[in-house]
Amino acid sequence: MTGAEAMVKCLEAEGITRVFGYPGVAIAPFYEGLYNSSIEHVLVRQEQNAGHAASGYARLSRKPAVCCVTSGPGATNLITALATCYADSIPIIAISGQVSSELLGRDVFQEADMTGATRSFVKHSYLVKDPDDLPRIFKEAFYIASTGRKGPVLIDVPIDVQNKKLSREFKYPDEVNMRGYKPEVKVNLQQIKKVVAALDKAKKPLICAGGGVILGDGEEHIRAFCEKFNIPVVSTMMGIGVMPKKHPLYFGMLGNNGKPYANKAVGRSDLLIIVGARLADRAIPKPENLVRRVGVIHIDIDTAEIGKNMGPTIPLVGDVKDIFEALMEQEIPVADQSWIDELEEVKHSTVDPRVFSDKLVNPNLLVQMLSEKMDDNAVYVADVGQNQLWSADNYVMKNGRFMTTGGMGTMGYSIPAAMGAKMYDPSVQAVAVCGDGSFQMSMNELATIRVNQVPVKVLVMKNRFLGLVREYQYNTYDSHYSGVRLYDWPRYDKIAEAYEMPFFSCSHDADLEKTLDEFLACPDACLMVCDVDSEDRVK
Amino acid sequence: MKGIFSVLVENKEGVLSAISGLFARRGYNIDSLAVGETDDRSVSSMTIVSTGDQRTIDQIEKQLNKKVDVIKVRRLDEAKSISLEMMLVKVSCTPANRSSLIELCQITGAKIMKVSPKFLLLEYHAEPEGVEDFIDLIKSYGILDIQRTGTISLSKT
Ligand SMILES: Cc1ncc(C[n+]2csc(CCOP(=O)(O)OP(=O)(O)O)c2C)c(N)n1
Repeated sequence: MTGAEAMVKCLEAEGITRVFGYPGVAIAPFYEGLYNSSIEHVLVRQEQNAGHAASGYARLSRKPAVCCVTSGPGATNLITALATCYADSIPIIAISGQVSSELLGRDVFQEADMTGATRSFVKHSYLVKDPDDLPRIFKEAFYIASTGRKGPVLIDVPIDVQNKKLSREFKYPDEVNMRGYKPEVKVNLQQIKKVVAALDKAKKPLICAGGGVILGDGEEHIRAFCEKFNIPVVSTMMGIGVMPKKHPLYFGMLGNNGKPYANKAVGRSDLLIIVGARLADRAIPKPENLVRRVGVIHIDIDTAEIGKNMGPTIPLVGDVKDIFEALMEQEIPVADQSWIDELEEVKHSTVDPRVFSDKLVNPNLLVQMLSEKMDDNAVYVADVGQNQLWSADNYVMKNGRFMTTGGMGTMGYSIPAAMGAKMYDPSVQAVAVCGDGSFQMSMNELATIRVNQVPVKVLVMKNRFLGLVREYQYNTYDSHYSGVRLYDWPRYDKIAEAYEMPFFSCSHDADLEKTLDEFLACPDACLMVCDVDSEDRVK
Repeated sequence: MKGIFSVLVENKEGVLSAISGLFARRGYNIDSLAVGETDDRSVSSMTIVSTGDQRTIDQIEKQLNKKVDVIKVRRLDEAKSISLEMMLVKVSCTPANRSSLIELCQITGAKIMKVSPKFLLLEYHAEPEGVEDFIDLIKSYGILDIQRTGTISLSKT
């Protein structure tokens, strides 16, 4: 068996049925292996999108997904997607071809030092030197990607290693044995006691749920916990989806771009319970200040997150499910209803000072109506920009998934990620919502969608600008709009026509409902464009 | 504050650069770094000395622990560990001041490795502050060349 055949066998052993990729000579032996296997290869139109598609696939399947690229430019094209997965803790396995081992370091044609270049963007990486190591490396890679704090793992395989025969019979290991990686953590009962003591004293506890809750499959646990003890919840952008929007204990997304009443809730609470959130600058600009006012409990699978952005806390390290199972059994007083009433009051008395244009489609209304009308378990992938913040602000979470790249904010994420999610579960409605700028960063994937008959819905909020940057220039540089105009091209109807996709467009709120109904009812992949006023702002 | 880390890592290529890359990327200082194999050839031992505030030093320990190729991290307490640094130094001297330099070596325990008409090549090891003190002492003669190993440390317990 050759190394390439072994690589395919490893993927089969991991239950992988589909990979996203883009070939070249340095990965050709592996593609020959794929040709002879039942694994489906999805040819994307640019390597970055193979990574984003794998990300969407992994997020919905809650298991690592695989992408593969060739050496040099193919590999470097993938780096942005790796960095995105790393920032968002998404488990993917990236396989890159590499020039022949004996040529490494000589700057030959299409050589790029991938393990070196990606060191700070991957959880771990391998440069394979011997085909006999492949089974162990693949086993470790899947294990590392999917345990502890999840993330991308890169396996760089020189072409000679793919071609060389294994010296022994192929055997996929049953378990891993790594001295330096032991992700399982037992819940520390001592710390649980401290948490209980803090909750005992608290009059106004508040849970802040981050993306880590979803990555740890802990949504149900958080919902059950907050209901049992009557504790209100806010979320970060990555934590949207932990709570249904209309849950009486949910008080929205916090942060720079969040709900003012969610931020007020943080300000008024006397005990903040942070779960699976790193509280980066966008969520809480000055976390140090918080600590002085309230007690803070920080729950995370990654010890290093605790205390990284925020001062002293009660740390609780471990798996979110284990921790909340343990907490459910504790004697904790049920929080007083007056605290919830106070937050309700704050919520209803906060007025939104923003005014939206009534000439074109109101983006808030658009997101509300769209997400209300979407299936209960639908996937909504928000891109980056004003459109993302309007999506996060207005999305009506029912029982589906809200996906976006909160950590890296990579434009162009939504289309390939929605495609990946839809390919994982064709029964789930998947909608990518993007701006006209972000659409153009990955509109080439409409071909992949078309060719593979993936009925993804793509909705563009067209404001003819790189809106979020324009808004920044409005606020910061006295409306000096520099390098942000997109004008009126491409002609979206023509784009849809070129890919032979149904096309819908809407320019007024009055037509919105009807158009959305048609868009959602369309059985095929389709494109919808809504004209949004460039003066509409997120703040 | 000072942080002294004794780190056991997989003895594989790329590991040293992964560790130094971690320090560079997150803006941690490396005051000194010493690496060598252990009795188990598949394991290397590093002593890393860094300075930073309490939070930075705590973060360094946690971030090191996150690396898959890091087997074990120990933070050494200066008072409860032995730290040594070695150096080789060429000190310029003339027939007139050579004997005073030799006398200095005798007092401090520096070893004379080579005598030449224009300099003495000395080996000196001590705890890191002692090395600094010794350098201060010989400075006035003129240092022609110097090599220091960086600190190595082991806990006393
Ligand atoms: C790859 C990439 N390049 C640049 C940026 C910086 N950026 C953030 S938002 C934004 C504008 C996005 O424009 P558009 O997709 O049209 O969305 P809008 O803000 O208008 O809704 C830009 C350029 C980014 N986040 N990602």
